[in-house]
Amino acid sequence: PICTALTTGRMTDDKDVLRDVWFGRIPTCFTLYQDEITEREAEPYYLLLPRVSYLTLVTDKVKKHFQKVMRQEDISEIWFEYEGTPLKWHYPIGLLFDLLASSSALPWNIIVHFKSFPEKDLLHCPSKDAIEAHFMSCVKEADALKHKSQVINEMQKKDHKQLWMGLQNDRFDQFWAINRKLMEYPAEENGFRYIPFRIYQTTTERPFIQKLFRPVAADGQLHTLGDLLKEVCPSALAPEDGEKKNQVMIHGIEPMLETPLQWLSEHLSYPDNFLHISIIPQPT
Amino acid sequence: MEEDEFFGEKTFQHFCAEFIKHSQQISDGWEWRTSKDCSEGYMCKTQFQMKPGTLVSHPGTSAHVQTCLPVEEALELPPDDFEVTETTAGSEVVKYEYHVLYSCSYQVPVLYFRASFLDGRPLALKDIWEGIHECYKSQLLQEPWDTITQQEHPVLGQPFFVLHPCKTNEFMTPVLENSRKINRSVNYITSWLSIVGPVVGLNLPLSYARTASQDE
Repeated sequence: PICTALTTGRMTDDKDVLRDVWFGRIPTCFTLYQDEITEREAEPYYLLLPRVSYLTLVTDKVKKHFQKVMRQEDISEIWFEYEGTPLKWHYPIGLLFDLLASSSALPWNIIVHFKSFPEKDLLHCPSKDAIEAHFMSCVKEADALKHKSQVINEMQKKDHKQLWMGLQNDRFDQFWAINRKLMEYPAEENGFRYIPFRIYQTTTERPFIQKLFRPVAADGQLHTLGDLLKEVCPSALAPEDGEKKNQVMIHGIEPMLETPLQWLSEHLSYPDNFLHISIIPQPT
Repeated sequence: MEEDEFFGEKTFQHFCAEFIKHSQQISDGWEWRTSKDCSEGYMCKTQFQMKPGTLVSHPGTSAHVQTCLPVEEALELPPDDFEVTETTAGSEVVKYEYHVLYSCSYQVPVLYFRASFLDGRPLALKDIWEGIHECYKSQLLQEPWDTITQQEHPVLGQPFFVLHPCKTNEFMTPVLENSRKINRSVNYITSWLSIVGPVVGLNLPLSYARTASQDE
């Protein structure tokens, strides 16, 4: 559904886009790492992962499934890996998939580890509270960019809690009842102060690009996705008459470069209110 | 890209450059680093300290890293199962790294830090916490304006501990207002680091302050 709207330039009903983004799923197969010590053979576990959530938030069943065939003393902090790359639980699932696995066949094959936590690569995730703290920290940072933190700071603690509970329990209406306030802007402006975005590429050392970028130009014109890339990541774009080398992907689709950035921010942000954009090589 | 705030990235870089100049004069070890694919950079310093007489916990326990303060548990040692790398008298060398980055979202500097033994084993937050002076511990526990969490370093992509920046403006505003009142210019980075640094074991020699107030 989003594909049609954004790749042909017709705006489908905006609320539908929000729902399609929220309910996006990735069919995943979890397999236990072969060197883990088990008492019985461990069967792979299949799960539909929500694109907008976080690995450690939605894999309790995966953990339970594999721990059933292991001894307590062989179990330490769980971590996930795809083709040798430890998966950062603090990145949204959809971002990890788009960036690392979107050109491969489904299901997404993830390896599960319970030993040898890669301290240098991954943040620890000691509890659900850690995920909540990380999520809320991103939401606050996004509002610092959009509204100088005015909207998030005006909200009560229970509103913050509702954002988190909405995400944790997959409750679209509960989440958006509060999140819609974070998507508003003053009538006299044409958009947010700055757009919260991060651009990811596996080919660079730096984990992501994040800069200050306004949704509206000095002359009042709305900046587009193409404008953003030209300014902060020109290598992502194809040269004038050259061949397209990369895909610019959000939530598994390639929005048209002419799409206004303000619209993308309001409709294709993740629940943390950031646009997480993947630049990946064009599949041959 | 744009700087309509008083503490934009260029201002940050300027104050860091001034800070590093003095650091070089007194051999305090601060350097400027840029990453290969961007123009922005950050300040960093590595220092080595002896961790006095503490037995090193087994690598397995590093999984139980505290990610938020306050830390109230006593250091627990597993019974017989520990390794000690001895230099002298049961103490061990710890490498501390401090990085000062600019947050364009909050338009303030942010302090990132991590510590590890020489063989690369990271220190847990509670081990670092032990090296901090008591008076700062109580200050940090009382003041809700700072929490320490583990986060990804935005340039290196590795786990670091971070002093959260969202309340920086709250404690820096009085400092800057005061400097305006007494008509003495101040190096924002020097002032800021002298406030947050000691909380995580980073101390600034006094000569930084004298330099900052001399440059008018």
